[in-house]
Amino acid sequence: MLAALLLPAGIAREASACGTCSVGDPTLTIVGFEQPQANRVRTSATLRHRNDQLGEPGVDELTLSEQRMELAAAYSPIDRFTVSLMMPVVHRLVTAVNLAEADIWAPGDLELRLRGVVWRDRKFAPRHLVSLIGGLEFPTGSVETDAQGVALPLEFQAGTGSWDPIAGASYTMFFDPWSLYVSSIGIFPTRGTADTLTGISVRQTVLGQFQPWRFLGFQAGMEFRIDQPGYIGGVRDPDTGGHITYGTLGLIGLPHEKVLLHATAALPLIQRLDGNHREGFAITAGLVYEI
Amino acid sequence: MRSELLWVIVLCCASSLPHCMHVSDGIELDVAYQPEATPAEIRTDMGYRVRLERAFIAVGQVELVPCDSLASELWELIGPARARAHELSTPTSLGVPLVLDLMESAGTPIFAGTLRPPPGSYCGIRFTGMPADEDAEGLTDASLEMMRHSVLVAARIEDGVSGDAWPVTVGIWEVLPCELPFDEPFVFDRPVLESVAIAIDHTAWFDGIDFAAQDAGTVQRQMTDNIRSSLTALRSYGTSGL
Repeated sequence: MLAALLLPAGIAREASACGTCSVGDPTLTIVGFEQPQANRVRTSATLRHRNDQLGEPGVDELTLSEQRMELAAAYSPIDRFTVSLMMPVVHRLVTAVNLAEADIWAPGDLELRLRGVVWRDRKFAPRHLVSLIGGLEFPTGSVETDAQGVALPLEFQAGTGSWDPIAGASYTMFFDPWSLYVSSIGIFPTRGTADTLTGISVRQTVLGQFQPWRFLGFQAGMEFRIDQPGYIGGVRDPDTGGHITYGTLGLIGLPHEKVLLHATAALPLIQRLDGNHREGFAITAGLVYEI
Repeated sequence: MRSELLWVIVLCCASSLPHCMHVSDGIELDVAYQPEATPAEIRTDMGYRVRLERAFIAVGQVELVPCDSLASELWELIGPARARAHELSTPTSLGVPLVLDLMESAGTPIFAGTLRPPPGSYCGIRFTGMPADEDAEGLTDASLEMMRHSVLVAARIEDGVSGDAWPVTVGIWEVLPCELPFDEPFVFDRPVLESVAIAIDHTAWFDGIDFAAQDAGTVQRQMTDNIRSSLTALRSYGTSGL
């Protein structure tokens, strides 16, 4: 896994051209936020950490600590279209109220995303981009079972075990040294592991970036998520559904012409999640390599 | 092109990684009922000989009592007793109703279930006897009356002095909450497996009762008190018979 994380850095030694220069805009962007340009290929490795608490304290509460490494690659065959693949490897530590633990390492669900620019203000170095996003999460995650072979609840799974279509739109504004990214994405899950139907999830992202130097930028933003309740065997899971808003602060840097590093901290500001469900601080750090 | 190919290979390898799950047990407390072996005849402290013919007790719930909530637990005890069919199980309570046929008791523990409590100190266990519901474990055609009783005893009483003998049946329908303190609290701060048994000494249920002189109501009240005091919580029972 470490090798996979360091792989882009190793490849970067062979780098020669400047990735951001080729699109006519110096803004540093992580995978998915960039300006498509014909034959642009980007790869990334991202580490994410988050905490979750589900269930009634002292009764059926589960504490989840999750670390994910997401390996991704994005390719733009033309100026207006990008296709990306993301494969997560998940570590989950689930702790019950009596201190019993389940420690899970497993591959998660592969995600395919397509992004098409439907409007831009000009062809070279556009300042405004409007894109449509579509995608699909594949049930590639392994299914964890108990001693009788019965699938465990989703809290113990690295993936949902369902085919989940994704649809949305984004707007990006580039005004050096400022930039803005706004997106709205809906995930529409189908029935998955343990007869679980996760609710539709709509996620809004607003991210502003100030880049005073060519090699370093500062990010601040909000992430809002609203979830429909989930159902297990046709019965509503009381600890699902509701909405949550995170405030995010991040850094993005360019230590090498083809290598970009980024880190973001997300703090839940407003939690209106249904039932007994609390989400904690989340941290993301990653590396992008421009091929 | 070589780099792109490398990344496709990395993604494919990631998706085919083996998965593994390691589970470790947490705090667990095995609970058992341990009725005394039923003798052919019981000699009471009032000089009566009791030959048991039927003896059942129905358990609705057992619950661990945290040391730091004795006041609230006390309030629940003195508050009105409520019969709740099929209590729910939680990490600190077992809500599976069970009918114990004490005539079959050989003095060995009968496993009730495992509690999985959160860390903390626990000073006792609350035993709640209550009429069984229709899917209670141990409910048979012979014990169907336990759907209306917490305790049912049928015996033949013989006066040790006069030699007179007569049958007696005592049925207690009310809910019987009993707080059973541990001689030493359980202090759970790390994963551990412990056990506790609720000892039932039904050979003492007839003590202090003058069957010849007391009316049925007095006998029933005295027996209810005797049942409460015949229950004790024993830490670390043996595993034989489980």
